[in-house]
Amino acid sequence: MLEGAELYFNVDHGYLEGLVRGCKASLLTQQDYINLVQCETLEDLKIHLQTTDYGNFLANQTNPLTVSKIDTEMRKRLCGEFEYFRNHSLEPLSTFLTYMTCSYMIDNVILLMNGALQKKSVKEILVKCHPLGRFTEMEAVNIAETPSDLFNAILVETPLAPFFQDCMSENALDELNIELLRNKLYKSYLETFYKFCKNHGDVTAEVMCPILEFEADRRAFIITLNSFGTELSKEDRETLYPAFGKLYPEGLRLLAQAEDFDQMKTIADHYEVYKPLFEAIGGNGGKTLEDVFYEREVQMNVLAFNRQFHYGVFYAYVKLKEQEMRNIVWIAECISQRHRTKINSYIPIL
Amino acid sequence: MGSMFRSEEVALVQLFLPTAAAYTCVSRLGELGLVEFRDLNASVSAFQRRFVVDVRRCEELEKTFTFLQEEVQRAGLVLPPPEGRLPAPPPRDLLRIQEETERLAQELRDVRGNQQALRVQLHQLQLHAAVLGQGHSPQLAATHTYGASERTPLLQAPGGPHQDLRVNFVAGAVEPHKAPALERLLWRACRGFLIASFRELERPLEHPVTGEPATWMTFLISYWGEQIGQKIRKITDCFHCHIFPFLEQEEARRAALQQQSQELQEVLGETERFLSQVLGRVQQLLPPAQVQVRKMKAVYLALNQCSMSTTHKCLIAETWCAARDLPALQEALRDSSMEEGVSAVAHRIPSRDMPPTLIRTNRFTASFQGIVDAYGVGRYQEVNPAPYTIVTFPFLFAVMFGDVGHGLLMFLFALAMVLAENRPAMKAAQNEIWQTFFGGRYLLLLMGLFSVYTGFIYNECFSRASSIFPSGWSVAAMANQSGWSDAFLAQHTMLTLDPNVTGVFLGPYPFGIDPIWSLAANHLSFLNSFKMKMSVILGVVHMAFGVVLGVFNHMHFGQRHRLLLETLPELTFLLGLFGYLVFLVIYKWLRVSATNAASAPSILIHFINMFLFSHSPTNRPLYPRQEVVQAMLVVLALAMVPVLLLGTPLHLLHRHRRRRRRPTGRKEDKAGLLGLPDASVNCWGSDEEKAGGLEDEQEAELVPSEVFMHQAIHTIEFCLGCVSNTASYLRLWALSLAHAQLSEVLWAMVMRIGLGLGREVGVAAVVLVPIFATFAVMTVAILLVMEGLSAFLHALRLHWVEFQNKFYSGTGYKLSPFTFAAAED
Repeated sequence: MLEGAELYFNVDHGYLEGLVRGCKASLLTQQDYINLVQCETLEDLKIHLQTTDYGNFLANQTNPLTVSKIDTEMRKRLCGEFEYFRNHSLEPLSTFLTYMTCSYMIDNVILLMNGALQKKSVKEILVKCHPLGRFTEMEAVNIAETPSDLFNAILVETPLAPFFQDCMSENALDELNIELLRNKLYKSYLETFYKFCKNHGDVTAEVMCPILEFEADRRAFIITLNSFGTELSKEDRETLYPAFGKLYPEGLRLLAQAEDFDQMKTIADHYEVYKPLFEAIGGNGGKTLEDVFYEREVQMNVLAFNRQFHYGVFYAYVKLKEQEMRNIVWIAECISQRHRTKINSYIPIL
Repeated sequence: MGSMFRSEEVALVQLFLPTAAAYTCVSRLGELGLVEFRDLNASVSAFQRRFVVDVRRCEELEKTFTFLQEEVQRAGLVLPPPEGRLPAPPPRDLLRIQEETERLAQELRDVRGNQQALRVQLHQLQLHAAVLGQGHSPQLAATHTYGASERTPLLQAPGGPHQDLRVNFVAGAVEPHKAPALERLLWRACRGFLIASFRELERPLEHPVTGEPATWMTFLISYWGEQIGQKIRKITDCFHCHIFPFLEQEEARRAALQQQSQELQEVLGETERFLSQVLGRVQQLLPPAQVQVRKMKAVYLALNQCSMSTTHKCLIAETWCAARDLPALQEALRDSSMEEGVSAVAHRIPSRDMPPTLIRTNRFTASFQGIVDAYGVGRYQEVNPAPYTIVTFPFLFAVMFGDVGHGLLMFLFALAMVLAENRPAMKAAQNEIWQTFFGGRYLLLLMGLFSVYTGFIYNECFSRASSIFPSGWSVAAMANQSGWSDAFLAQHTMLTLDPNVTGVFLGPYPFGIDPIWSLAANHLSFLNSFKMKMSVILGVVHMAFGVVLGVFNHMHFGQRHRLLLETLPELTFLLGLFGYLVFLVIYKWLRVSATNAASAPSILIHFINMFLFSHSPTNRPLYPRQEVVQAMLVVLALAMVPVLLLGTPLHLLHRHRRRRRRPTGRKEDKAGLLGLPDASVNCWGSDEEKAGGLEDEQEAELVPSEVFMHQAIHTIEFCLGCVSNTASYLRLWALSLAHAQLSEVLWAMVMRIGLGLGREVGVAAVVLVPIFATFAVMTVAILLVMEGLSAFLHALRLHWVEFQNKFYSGTGYKLSPFTFAAAED
């Protein structure tokens, strides 16, 4: 990237940046959440959402309304917005947007493979797939029996192909291997995306790199946490950690040796960013590790909007919107299951 | 017109609507459009209100309506506009409407579904036939041999068990854009254990859902072995291909297909006939039902803003209503609640909030009120500048646009619109620009009329002067008196007419500018001097009028101290300085004549000297003791600044303090008895403010610094504003000059050239046609539209900024009554 990108950033991406900032302004406010939480039924929720920027997106749904219908419609809306961004984007923003979809594609592929393993019909699982990560060859995933099969036959033409280099193997795809495959793919994806942002330089790198570093560290923590008490060896575990981020390399080496949550916490205490996060766990309202990570992510994404002339806003917007959708789904679930005690533990978007 | 002077009295009215009659009452009020409902449940969120269930039912119905409407539109039919008056239906009718529309929608859905299913079937059949008829067979034969030659060496090695494997086929169709991906995926997944041939369909088929023509790719895949077959089937599934059985006995199969599709088409025709019947019924039912349900929903939304009485017997609504409409309101309530036996009651209650502003307009005043409202809706009962705008706006516009010809064109255009205003085609026009012009037709009419008048004053018609009266100047007298010889005349192209020579200047022209000036070389400097002085005079008069209008505000709101402490100093300041300037101009016009023109004093120098308290010996005084008068005026004007700056705040503070002292003195013993803190009672005292209790509270929280700050800003704004606003009125001069010059140029550059072209009548006539066309187009485009817009803009600015800031705050909000008028459109 040449110096002084802000001088001509708007020529190519000004319209979309303006658009995405407008979209961000339409995120639900604190007042909206307060009103949503008061709803008694899903119909109330629908009426309230009508007064927000969601408009009558549920108008054509036949009764009775369910949480999954709301979720699907919200995803469709986000997907529509994203498709619009994508169709109007120019290089290198379009590559950036493609990178953004990759994570959803990985999830979808893994979801389908798991489904095939459990002998579920493709249609049933397709409904659960995230529309952002949809691609034509996706449904054929279940014909593959080994990762290399998968790569050679199906994924070679998709943007996922480059991430497969490290995980070509002839192992049969059982549950553990699929999970390993997912993590390896993710590691490779995050590293490539990180490299892309770093090479792009400028404000984009300044904004995106910390976000992706956080993402990588979060994955490392989660992987570690999930591997406790499984047959995953410590060496294997280390290979799954994305090779960048604040924890890289010493922190990761220590994490690979960790044996329980307390050891993980001690490692996190070495880092000023993660220390407060781990201290907040279980505090007011019984927050989980996931919650505090989400909160931190929201915070970073909101901050991304403070800078101009960079692509991070697109990433941040989609992530914020996703969080908002998770919140609405959480509230809707609480309402439909009449489980109101925990209804307030959504992640507020500042 | 009386109501134009200030906004009408608006009262806060409490309505007690018996629960049984509430709906009919509100629906009647909606038809009349008299009252604005106040939301009494602002703290209650939308879904917790009382009538939310009914609103939801209306919304459900509207959803069905949308479905029906879409279906009608998809069939290419139009919905007729509803006819006659359609009152909001009684609530029990909702059920009937709901049933009818539901039934209709259900029928429509069934028929549509049938039609859709039939179409899909037909599509499948057609596709099948097309796949079979695509003629993959000859190529197949070729691939057989090709495949065989490939296979021979492979098959020899394993030998026996594979010999009985037959070649299997999968035939189908896929959307063209997916075909390449499918082909590649097939090849990669099955590693060449198959042979596929793809071919595009020659004839596009109708898409079963959208009805648009779509091409398809047909394919035939030949493969060996069950494993591969399963894989292929999975892959084709994932690309949503249509797969058809592919058998040998093709011909018989195709004949059967033909037969089937013919039968299907007949059934489909029948279904479509039935569909159009159902749609016809929808067309009849839908428009009135839509209006009715929309009204119903509006009524429930209004009812949602009411609160429940404690006994649950009636709903309480708070509404703003013009005091004049109160009898009508009461009558409407009585009428509509008669049936139920209990009557609805309306009574006025005192209000602490500022009522909304209501100014009734007719089609003539609406556009002028619009100009004022675009700046800001007036405070409740504030003096409304609109009635004065009716005259001053077109006049100031005309000062900048003065030309008889242009004014006449504008007037005729506006007149045509005014005469045709009742034609439905005029109102139906959708063009936004046209609507803007049409909305301001009366404004345009007056602007045109005033321009004709100023055009006569300037004596310009398409930049040409007309001599209606004989000129006041006589060239003959001048020639005779000064004995100009023929040789002298031949040598000098410029001659000077001296008004001091007897007989040359006979007296002023009866009306406007003497036409002889249009021939004079010093035409421009004469006009400039005249227009500049005129602008200042108009400006000072306009502004002084604005300040005087403030008097009515102060009187009405009972703030008499402001008369003495604000209006009087302001007027003195404005008139003492700039009013005096106007006086000088007029005095000089009247007192200095052509005889003593050579030694005429300069007003500019006088005015500058006035502020410097000096005098220049070369500049003769206009009248005796002029310097003393001027010095007094300046001192007086400057003395007004501190009065303006400190007067009101000191007065308010003084009054505040006095009032605080009085009650506390009285309450001292009581306070001890009741144990009440003094502060809670000290703010209540009698108040002469008519503006209501509002002022009381303001008094109570009088913050000295804020009052001083506010007044300081006001003072600075006014004093500096007097200077800059007076200068701002010079735009009248500048724009009228620009307009005159532009039309002059257009005449000289286009028409004069054209008129001077051909000597023979024929040539001149032919040439003049395009020349005149150019002249006409440019006159309209540049002088009428462009110049007109710019003059309009400047007139607007003079009103908003220079005039209205003298008295108009414009911080109110409009009364927006609850009415069905919008719902009926």
